[in-house]
Amino acid sequence: MNYSFKIAIKSLWHERWINLLSILSIAVGLFILGFVILVLYNVETLTRGAPEKFTVTLFLKKDVTDSKAKGLLRKIKKNEIVKSVKYISKTEAFEELKQSLKDAAYILEGIDENPLFPSIEIKLKEKSFDKDTIEKFIASLKKDKRVDEVIYGQQLLGTIHEIYKSVKILTIIVGLLFCTAIAFVCYSTVKILFYRKKEEIEVYKLLGATKGFIRSPFIFEGILVGMLGGILASAGNLVLFNLLKGMSNPSVPLLKGVILPEELILSLPLAGLLLGLVGSTIALGKIKY
Amino acid sequence: MIKFNNVTKIYENITALRNVSFSIEKGEFVYITGPSGAGKTTLLKLIYLAEKPDSGDISIAGWDFNALKEKAVPYLRRNIGVVFQDFKLLNNKTVYENIAIALRIRGFKDKEIKERVYDALKLVNLRHKSDNYPPTLSGGEQQRATIARAIVGEPTILIADEPTGNLDADNTAGIMKIFKEIHAKGTTVLFATHNRNLFRHTGMRVLRLDSGNLVADEIG
Repeated sequence: MNYSFKIAIKSLWHERWINLLSILSIAVGLFILGFVILVLYNVETLTRGAPEKFTVTLFLKKDVTDSKAKGLLRKIKKNEIVKSVKYISKTEAFEELKQSLKDAAYILEGIDENPLFPSIEIKLKEKSFDKDTIEKFIASLKKDKRVDEVIYGQQLLGTIHEIYKSVKILTIIVGLLFCTAIAFVCYSTVKILFYRKKEEIEVYKLLGATKGFIRSPFIFEGILVGMLGGILASAGNLVLFNLLKGMSNPSVPLLKGVILPEELILSLPLAGLLLGLVGSTIALGKIKY
Repeated sequence: MIKFNNVTKIYENITALRNVSFSIEKGEFVYITGPSGAGKTTLLKLIYLAEKPDSGDISIAGWDFNALKEKAVPYLRRNIGVVFQDFKLLNNKTVYENIAIALRIRGFKDKEIKERVYDALKLVNLRHKSDNYPPTLSGGEQQRATIARAIVGEPTILIADEPTGNLDADNTAGIMKIFKEIHAKGTTVLFATHNRNLFRHTGMRVLRLDSGNLVADEIG
């Protein structure tokens, strides 16, 4: 094991040009993949945060008393996707209306009876984003006899759902494409190195080397090449992230909220390592004595 | 130790060995001789499993080749030291590393490798060239380095394919001396050569091949 690792390190230096080229190719691939994930992660974070700002308003029937409304309030609060609820009585609603129309108070002149309905404002939890769950929740509200009408951003909910779904699919497609390409770079590198050492390997076989002894330096080399590519890609993403943050100003406020997940920085070298392992294992194929 | 029973090897319609049968006991020194193309190299290749017979049975040190599993091949090869006709030294490694590799394959530790490699180099009188690369050595020195690599793992069988083929008389005498020393330690030696002078009047066993047939099993 120790000897195989030493041989891999030596080969990394001895075949430095081909290895450097592979490391750079992998670094570029993983950098782009990392950047795409960074963008998609931030889009997802934005869409995930949307339900928190998403309000469901329940207009209750006019004859629903305050005590009946509060009973409904307690029932709604128990639902796990609900973050907060606020009951607005008919009187409070009328007072709010008066406040907002204080510059045009004549509009309300002549209205003796409060024409407004009591209502409940519901805010949903950030992590509750799931179109079906929300729609199921709204359907259950509509069924309640105390409820007259439910108003919520149906279109917004649909749009958010579509964005969320597209982001997921895009992440999978981009991820698969780049991972295949990177594994192929590792495969080609190890294949070339293996052919270059074909004579040496034949001698090893004749001297009694096991397949593990023959394979392990190449596997280590593939892993190292992949991991070094991943480290460079992480460094690149870190630099780019700081550049973007630095560019943030009042005219481009969006950049200020950009998040770089720590997991991404750690996972790129790990992804390189795994793809190096996969690529080199496939490249070596079946060794025959 | 080595048993061939009706062994035949054919290369694309050319019969390299035809129904060859013989048996070699442990500790024997056997010359294999015959003209070029007689089948000497094929016979040796069959022993160290570089080739498979088309028919017949071979067994080495109790390993029956017909029942041998692929994963056992490297372990069997470790019992057989081979001095290749074309040396098969690795030009990008020093003499020391070329010999050490035979022990690294066997999983020896660095300290033991060092001791054993220097002992082997001393035996072939190449201690002073341990840091040299093969292309900087003479033909005789390369041959001796190959012998050192073949014996460093202390195999029970040593096979040599024309080890003196390209050497002058002095170098040949030196190589023969080394082989006799190795044999004296109890190693079974198979020595392929077309040079009759090497085995004439030695009292050693000689297997004579001609056109793939074993035509004589005699004392030299």
